[in-house]
Amino acid sequence: MTAAVEFLSVSRHFGPVKAVDGVDLTIAEGSFFAMLGPSGSGKTTCLRLISGFEKPTGGTIRIFGEDVSNTPPHLRNVNTVFQDYALFPHMNVRDNVAYGLMVKGMGRAQRHAKAEEMLALVKLDAYGDRKPAQLSGGQRQRVALARALVNEPRVLLLDEPLGALDLKLREAMQDELKALQKRLGLTFVFVTHDQHEALSMADSLAVFNEGKIAQIGTPQDIYDRPATRFVADFVGSSNVLPPDLTRALGGPAEWASLRPEATRLSATGPVSGPVKALRYLGSGTRVVIDAHGTEIAALVPAGQPVPAEGTTTAFAFEPSALHLMGTK
Amino acid sequence: MSSSPAILPAKGPADRLTALFWRHPRVLLAILLTPPLLWLGVVYLGSLAALLLQSFYSIDEFSGVVKEEFTLKTYAELLRPSNFDILLRTVLMAAAVTLACAALAFPIAYYAARYAKGHWKAAFYLGVMLPLWSSYLVKVYAWKLILAKEGIIGWAAEQTHTSWIIDGLLSIPGMEGSSLSTSPLGTFMVFVYIWLPYMILPMQASLERVPNSMLEASADLGASRGQTFRTVILPLALPGVIAGSIFTFSLTLGDYIIPQIIGNSANFIGMAVYQLQGTAGNIPLAAAFAVVPILIMLIYLAIARRMGAFDAL
Repeated sequence: MTAAVEFLSVSRHFGPVKAVDGVDLTIAEGSFFAMLGPSGSGKTTCLRLISGFEKPTGGTIRIFGEDVSNTPPHLRNVNTVFQDYALFPHMNVRDNVAYGLMVKGMGRAQRHAKAEEMLALVKLDAYGDRKPAQLSGGQRQRVALARALVNEPRVLLLDEPLGALDLKLREAMQDELKALQKRLGLTFVFVTHDQHEALSMADSLAVFNEGKIAQIGTPQDIYDRPATRFVADFVGSSNVLPPDLTRALGGPAEWASLRPEATRLSATGPVSGPVKALRYLGSGTRVVIDAHGTEIAALVPAGQPVPAEGTTTAFAFEPSALHLMGTK
Repeated sequence: MSSSPAILPAKGPADRLTALFWRHPRVLLAILLTPPLLWLGVVYLGSLAALLLQSFYSIDEFSGVVKEEFTLKTYAELLRPSNFDILLRTVLMAAAVTLACAALAFPIAYYAARYAKGHWKAAFYLGVMLPLWSSYLVKVYAWKLILAKEGIIGWAAEQTHTSWIIDGLLSIPGMEGSSLSTSPLGTFMVFVYIWLPYMILPMQASLERVPNSMLEASADLGASRGQTFRTVILPLALPGVIAGSIFTFSLTLGDYIIPQIIGNSANFIGMAVYQLQGTAGNIPLAAAFAVVPILIMLIYLAIARRMGAFDAL
């Protein structure tokens, strides 16, 4: 399979700040690739390096095998859906969508026809004459999507495109985006700080931390087998066990991760502690136990008894649920 | 739990006044708006109406007394060649000054809005505002010296053997003069200098409101710098450009000092008004002259509106 985007030890330093620091990355053609990380981790800068709004201070970026180090954004065959959508307020929706075709010199009738086609694809056929200010957040998001897709880019870049939408709309858009990507067979590169979004939408994802990639792999790899404590904590909201605790629970003296849904409360066990906090989630209750100073979260399914705050309880898990992460 | 009361006692008249305004928001609005409305409505609009009224009177050619009867005769006088020349010259000068100001102001405003940060931004504001702090007359007389034959420009041209450029410019029909300070070209240069800040500031304010992501989106969609300028930056900055041009255009239309001091003493609207209401005592014709810039500005704004200049507001 061809690589749509390749990073060869790419860095982007802003003075002393290493926003992106020696990143190696390969994004397969036709995949839905997510870049996940907390704010300031370098994921957005990586996206801007692909679109050309940032120049690398070191390394090489290739798009479909071609070195784009000296290619300005307007000559790169990639398009971006911006976080704030960046729709042109003085143009109506149709002209916004047709903008890329207009600057390439396509005639008025033809580009408007193409824009209408694309608006139909995102289910906004009747909205061509409106101004962006007259649309809701979800509709603007679709216009931004249509405006990018109408240019038939080789790679579509999405910068936290769902961040401004409410939960219900966000979930609907996640499904739509995923379906659209499958249908078009296009490479999507998606930046998000929402681990659920990344896990549920991506074919593969890179977890960023402090300008570096902490782990890269399929959602299952990353969720089940986090490579570092950071990944375990950030992606799965997993319990991270220090070596002492792992040994006390019958494992080797290594750092380990344990998912809350694989942890259950039990009357007896090698380690017990008081219940520190309870959080009702609807589908269950998250019980946090203070185990020798380490917080261990267990997920109690709905319908099962939940201990009161302050009572002491032990916990248990299948030995295979414990994922070891080395001694460092 | 604390036992403090749910309603706090009023601490003084300020608290009670605030409470009154909260209960009757329109009272505050009325208090705030009455003085400016009195000023605008009575003093300003009133005198404007008086001006309009005067322009429909005429002057008795024998006695020189104003006849207070409605007539369009005074307006017809504006169309006499000697008067119409004044209108044409003033409007052309105002248009040329506005275009030159826009062209000079844009790069400065663009830099200030997009790139200048911190100290550089402060330096920008200072640089633009500083000339406004010194007397207008001082600046105009300074320019008279700069543009004079023995002035610094003439001296520099002589030293670099480029006097022929100035001589060439001064031999263009309509720009003739013995030096820049006695040529309409000099009048134009001083107008541009004096009104430039009034173009830069509104332009900079409107460019500041164009988010960076808008420019990135344009480039992302394949637009070159020139295309982005024409299709995104200019339409979004147009309200500011129009605001600036209203200043430069109307200020040039009404000015009567610069053309008196610099240039070939050809009459401009402002000078005509000054002479007609003073020495000539022809108030109706002075009023008719004064109405012209108002009409021109109204037409200009109507055209700008038609062209969609205010769509991005």
